Amino acid sequence: MTSPIPTTAPFAQEEIEILNRVVGPASATQRAWLAGFLAGLDAAGGAAAQPELAAPAQPAEPLTILYATESGNSEKLASDMAKAARKMGLKPSIVDMADLDVASLASVKRLVVIAATWGEGDPPARAVRTYGELMGEGAPRLDGVQFGVLALGDTAYADFCGVGKKIDARLEALGGKRVADRVDCDLDFADPAGKWIETALKALAPEDGGRGRVIAVDFGAKAGAAELGPVEAEITELIDLNSSQSEKETYHLELSFDGAAPAYKPGDSLDLYPENDPAYVDDLLKAAGLGSDGSLRAELTKNRDITTLSLKTLETYASATGHQYVKELLDSGDARSWIAGRQLIDLIQQFPIALTSEQLLKFTRPLAPRAYSIASSRREVGEEAHLLISAVRYETFGRARKGVASGYVADQLKKGQRLRVKLRPNKHFALPAPDKDIIMVGPGTGVAPFRAFVQERRATEAKGRSWLFFGDRQFTHDFLYQLEWQDALKDGVLTRMDVAFSRDTPEKVYVQHRIWDKRRELIEWLDKGAYFYICGDAKAMAKDVRATLVRAYADVKGLSAEAAEKAVSDLDREHRYLQDTY
Amino acid sequence: MTKDLSRNEHLKEASAFLRGTLAEGLREEITGGIIEDDQQLVKFHGMYLQDDRDLRSERGRKKMEKAFAFMIRVRIPGGVCTPAQLLAIDHIARTYGNHTMRITTRQTFQLHGVIKSNLKATMREIDRVLLTTIAACGDVNRNVMSNPNPYQSRAHAATIAMARALSDHLLPQTPAYREIWLDGERIAGGEEEVVEPIYGKTYLPRKFKIVIAIPPSNDVDVFAHDLGYIAILDENGEIGGYNVTVGGGMGMTHGQPETYPRTADVMGFCKPEQAVAVAEAVVTVQRDWGDRSNRAHARLKYTIEDRGLDAFRAEVEKRSGVTLEKAKPFQFTSTGDRYGWTESEDGKGHLTLFVQNGRIKDIPGGPQWLTGLKHIAEVHDGDFRLTANQNIIIANVASDKRWDIGKLVDKYKLTADASPVRRNSMACVALPTCGLALAESERYLPDLISEIEARLASHGLTDDEIVIRMTGCPNGCARPYLAEIGLVGKGPGKYNLYLGAAFDGSRLSKLYAEDLDNGAIVAHLDPLFAAYKSERENGERFGDFVIRAGFVAATSNGPDFHKSTGAQRSAELITK
Ligand code: SRM
Ligand SMILES: Cc1cc2nc3c(=O)[nH]c(=O)nc-3n(C[C@H](O)[C@H](O)[C@H](O)COP(=O)(O)OP(=O)(O)OC[C@H]3O[C@@H](n4cnc5c(N)ncnc54)[C@H](O)[C@@H]3O)c2cc1C
Ligand SMILES: Cc1cc2nc3c(=O)[nH]c(=O)nc-3n(C[C@H](O)[C@H](O)[C@H](O)COP(=O)(O)O)c2cc1C
Ligand code: SF4
Repeated sequence: MTSPIPTTAPFAQEEIEILNRVVGPASATQRAWLAGFLAGLDAAGGAAAQPELAAPAQPAEPLTILYATESGNSEKLASDMAKAARKMGLKPSIVDMADLDVASLASVKRLVVIAATWGEGDPPARAVRTYGELMGEGAPRLDGVQFGVLALGDTAYADFCGVGKKIDARLEALGGKRVADRVDCDLDFADPAGKWIETALKALAPEDGGRGRVIAVDFGAKAGAAELGPVEAEITELIDLNSSQSEKETYHLELSFDGAAPAYKPGDSLDLYPENDPAYVDDLLKAAGLGSDGSLRAELTKNRDITTLSLKTLETYASATGHQYVKELLDSGDARSWIAGRQLIDLIQQFPIALTSEQLLKFTRPLAPRAYSIASSRREVGEEAHLLISAVRYETFGRARKGVASGYVADQLKKGQRLRVKLRPNKHFALPAPDKDIIMVGPGTGVAPFRAFVQERRATEAKGRSWLFFGDRQFTHDFLYQLEWQDALKDGVLTRMDVAFSRDTPEKVYVQHRIWDKRRELIEWLDKGAYFYICGDAKAMAKDVRATLVRAYADVKGLSAEAAEKAVSDLDREHRYLQDTY
Repeated sequence: MTKDLSRNEHLKEASAFLRGTLAEGLREEITGGIIEDDQQLVKFHGMYLQDDRDLRSERGRKKMEKAFAFMIRVRIPGGVCTPAQLLAIDHIARTYGNHTMRITTRQTFQLHGVIKSNLKATMREIDRVLLTTIAACGDVNRNVMSNPNPYQSRAHAATIAMARALSDHLLPQTPAYREIWLDGERIAGGEEEVVEPIYGKTYLPRKFKIVIAIPPSNDVDVFAHDLGYIAILDENGEIGGYNVTVGGGMGMTHGQPETYPRTADVMGFCKPEQAVAVAEAVVTVQRDWGDRSNRAHARLKYTIEDRGLDAFRAEVEKRSGVTLEKAKPFQFTSTGDRYGWTESEDGKGHLTLFVQNGRIKDIPGGPQWLTGLKHIAEVHDGDFRLTANQNIIIANVASDKRWDIGKLVDKYKLTADASPVRRNSMACVALPTCGLALAESERYLPDLISEIEARLASHGLTDDEIVIRMTGCPNGCARPYLAEIGLVGKGPGKYNLYLGAAFDGSRLSKLYAEDLDNGAIVAHLDPLFAAYKSERENGERFGDFVIRAGFVAATSNGPDFHKSTGAQRSAELITK
C-alpha cells in the first residue's frame, strides 16, 4: 500500500503526494498515532496536545448523494459534491439512481438528488425503472428526511428540468424536509451547480461544521478519470456516405491528433465544439441593427448559442427591450407554442427593435458542444477517432435552417482543417467480456458505436457472437458502411446482420419489425446471456424497440404482459440492456 | 472437330434447369447483387443484374457496393397487352422501379431499377395479370414479334395468334420459374425427369429471335432476326402462307471482323399450319449445329454461314417433315410506323403515338407519358400494342370512345408533332443502366436529332423521311446497321457513322467514318444532305443515294460488311 491517500481526498494533488510519501510506508502504530493526534489537535483548538489527552473521535454524519445521469454531468457533480462534503465532516455515499433500491430511502437521514432530464422531459434511460418506482404507490414515506434537489437541463427543451422538478415535489409529498431549494441548471451548469452545492452542504452539515470529527475517508473511492479539456484535432477524412441521389447527408469524419488520441473506449463519445454559420450571424446582426462589429461577430460565431429560443430568452427580451408585443405574447400563454420551430433570429425579426451588442449577448447563452458517438476503435485505427454525423436540415416558417454542429461539419469544415473536441466517456455503454454475445440495434447514425464495437472485437479476436440490426431509408442510397459490414460478415466478426429500409417498399419497415421477425433466435441469444445494445433516436426508435422486445418475450415464452415487461427490466437490472440514445 | 464448350454451357448443364443458387442468393440481404453464375441464369428468367453507372465512381469512396438493381423484361408476343396489364406494369414502375417503363425494340416493356429485395413482389404482380418474364432473355427463343398494326385486321389477327402459338410452343418448361419467384413447391427430383423436350438441359447455344411481318410494312425488320415469317396474303386478304427467313442478326464487336451483322436469307415458303413445325425444326437444328464453344460465333447467322443455306434447309425439312415451296414474291416499302388514327375493317379506331426512344415517363414541362397512359388505360376498353419501333398504339377504340381518348392524349401532350427524321429514329437504352454501353444513346440522340433537323431545314429537307438509329455499342439493339444513318458507340462521346442501308430494311449499311464526336457527326452529315438535295433522283431514298452518288460502298451481306469501308468520295468537295 504505497499511496493510501486517494486523489479524491480534500487536498491538492502535490499535498496528496507528500502525504502519501509519509503515510505510505508508515507502520500501523505510526498511523494510529497520527489519527489520534490530528483528532486531538482540532479538539484542543489547534494547540499541540499529548496524544493520550485526545478526545475520542465522533463518527461522521452520513449523506446520500443520488444522481440520475445519461451523459455523465450529474454523476460528475455528484462526486464533486462528495469531495466537498467530506471537508465538512459528512460521510457521503454516491448512488446511481439506476442501482437504487427505493425502499432503502426510508432509512436515509440526509438526501441530495442531482437529476438530468432527457428525451422529451423523460428521466435518463438507466433511471427510468427507479424513477417509476419513486413516483408510484410503492414509494416509502420519507418523513423527516432532509433533502435538496439539483436539476440539470436545457432551456431549449419545452419541459425544462422536468425530471428534477418532479423529484423535488415528490420527495416533499412523501414527507421529506426540503433544506435546500431546488436550482434548475441550463447547459452552462458549472457556476449555478457549484453555488448550489455550497449552500446545500451548509444546510446539511452538522452545526459545528464537522469540528472534531474524523473526516470519513472513503477508501473505496477510485481516482476519477482525470478531467481533460478540449483538444485540437485535424480532419484527415470527410465523406458524405449517402449516395448523391439520397435526400440525406451523413458524414464520416476521421480525426487525427497531434500525438496521442484521447484515451477513448468503444462506446465513448466525443464532444465537438462547433462554430455558428457565418451567414446566420450576419442575418442576426442585420436584424438587430448592429452593423459590422468584427469582435462581436467573432464572439457570436465562436462562443454563443445564437439559435436556441427559449421562454427564458423571451422573458429577457421583453424585460430588456420592454417590447410590448413580446410581453403580450408571454401573457397570452401562447409563447411556448410560438417558440416551437423558431430561433432567436425569428424573435428579433418579428419583434424588431434596435439592440446594443450587450443586449444581444444577453439573449444568448454559451455555445455548448455536441456529442458524437465514436465510430472507431483505437485498436484498429491507432491514434485516430472517427465520427458519423447526420446533417440536420429543415425548413420552418419559410426559413431554411440547419443544425449548428452538423451544419458546421457539413458546410464549413473541409479536409485538412482543425477543430476542437473533448472526450465524453460512457462507462455504461461499453463492450462486455470478449466471450459474451452482443446484439446491436443501431439504425441511422445509431450504428456509429457499433462500428467501434466490431473493430474492437476484430482486433481482440473476441469469441462472442455479434448480431447487428441496421436501418435507414433506402438500401441503394443510405446503406452506411455497407462494404465494411460485408467484410465483417465474411471474416466472421459479425455473426449476422439484419437490415430494414423504410422507403424501399410501400409499407414502411423499421428495425423493430426485423427484431420481431427474428424474435425466436433473438430471445435464444438473450437466454444464453447476450447483451442488448440500442443506439440512435430516443424519441421513437428506442421506445419502439423496447416495446417490441417486450412483445417478443411475451410471444416466444408465452408470458403475460407484466411478466414480459419484467423480463426486459431484469435485463436492465443486470446491465444487459444498454442504450445510448439521443 | 471438338472444341471446348464455353463457360455458360457448363453453367446451364449444372444449373438443374435454370435454378442455380438463385433462391439462396435472393435471401442474401446485405448485398443487392447475386453471384456471377446466377447473373447468367437469371437472364433466362427475364432479368439482368445491372448497376447505375452514373453512380459507379462515387460508390467505393462512400463505402457502398455498386448501386445494383435489376432490369426486368416482360414477354408480350406481338406486343399486344390489355389495359389491366399496362396498369400493373405502371404500378410496378412507380412502386418498385425507377418511375419509367421502357418500350423495347422487340415490342415489350422493360422495367429498370428494381432492387433485389423487391424482385419477388414484382414478379408476383406481373404473374397476377397473366404476364410472364420467362425467356425474355437468355439462350432461348425471345419475345416473338409481329406487325401489331390492326388496320388489316383479319390478317393481323392471324399473325398475332401465330406469334402466341410460336411463343407458347417454344417456351421453356422448367418449373424453376414458379418455384423461385412465385414460391412454388420444388417438385422432388424435378430436375431429373426431362422437363425440356425441345431445349434439353443446355438450351440453345445463344439467344434466338423470331418475327412475323406483313408486307408492305417491314416494321419488325424481318431480316434482322434468326427466324422470320413474311406473310403472303391471298386475293381475299387472308394469309395464304409465309416466306420463311433465317440467319439474320445485328450484333458484332468493334475490331473483330469475324463478327458482323447479317440480313436473313429467304429459305422458302410454308403453309400457315406448318409454321410452328418449321420453327421447332429451325430451333432444334440450331440447338444441335450451333457453335457452343464460342458465344461470339454462336448465333444462327454464323451456323448458316458455316453450313450453307441448302444444308440447313434440308435438315429443317427432314426434321419438320415439311417440304418448303419456292418463296413467293413480296414487296416492302418501309420499316417505320404509321402515326395518328387509322380505322380497320371492323370500324374500330387505332391511334399510333410516337414515343421518343420508347421511354414512358413524365417529362417536366413536356409529355406526361406515365400519367397519361395510366389514365388512358383506366378508361380504355380496347387494347394496347407496342411496336418494333418503340412506339405504342392505343388500339381497338370504339368510335364513341375516340373523343375521350383524344382528349386525354392532348391533355397529357402525347402527340408531340415530331419531325419526320425524329419519328423515324430509334436509340437503344445504353447509359446509365446497360452494362455494355460504350457511349450514351437514349439520353443523347434527342439532342443530336435537333441539330440534324436544323441542318436538314437549312437544305430544305425538313419533310424528308430518313431513318436514323443509334446504339451505345456495336451489339445493335436498335438495329442501327439497317438504318440509313446509323450511329454506333465506340467510346465516351465517340461514334462510328454507318450509311447506305435500305429504307425498307432489306440492305445493311457500311462504315463511313469512325470515332466522331457530336460536332464531327453533324459536319460529316451536312455536306451529304446538301448533295442529296441537289443530286438525288426523284423519289430516291437517302440510303440508296449515298451509294449511287458514290459516297459509300454497298453491303451485299454480312461477310462483306467490313469490306471497302470508309468514305469513297470526298464529301467536302461539293459543299459550297
Ligand atoms: C431494351 C433493348 C434495346 C431497346 O432500346 O429497346 C435491348 C437492351 C439490351 N440488350 Fe439488346 N436489346 C434489345 C434488342 C436487341 C436487338 C434488336 C432486336 O432483337 O430486334 C438486337 C439485335 C438483333 C440481334 O439479336 O442480333 C440486340 C442485340 C443484343 C446483343 C448482341 C447479340 C448478338 O448476338 O450479337 C447483346 C449482347 C449479348 O447478347 O451478348 C444485347 C444485350 C442487351 C442488354 C441486355 C445488355 C446486357 O446484355 O447486359 C441490354 C439491356 C440494356 C438496358 O439497360 O435495358 N442485345 N438487342 C431491346 C430489348 C428487346 C426485347 O424486348 O427483347
Ligand atoms: C451521447 C450522444 C451521442 C450522439 N451521437 C451522435 C452521432 O453519433 N451522430 C449524430 O449525428 N448525432 C449524434 N448525437 C446528436 C448530436 O449530438 C446533435 O444533437 C445533433 O448532431 C444535432 O446537433 P446540431 O448542432 O447539428 O443541431 P442543433 O443546432 O442542436 O439543432 C437541433 C435542433 O433543431 C431542431 N430541429 C431539428 N430538426 C427539426 C425539424 N425537422 N423541425 C423543427 N425543428 C427541428 C430541434 O429543436 C433540435 O433539437 C448524439 C447525441 C448524444 C447526446
Ligand atoms: C437528446 C437530449 C434530450 C434532452 N431533453 C431534455 C429535456 O427534455 N429537458 C431538459 O431540460 N433538458 C434536456 N436535455 C438536456 C440534458 O438534460 C442536459 O444535457 C444535461 O446536462 C445532461 O446531464 P447528464 O449528463 O447528467 O445526463 C436533453 C439533452 C439531450 C442530448
Ligand atoms: S446496343 Fe449496346 S449499349 Fe445499347 S442497349 Fe444494346 S448492349 Fe446496351
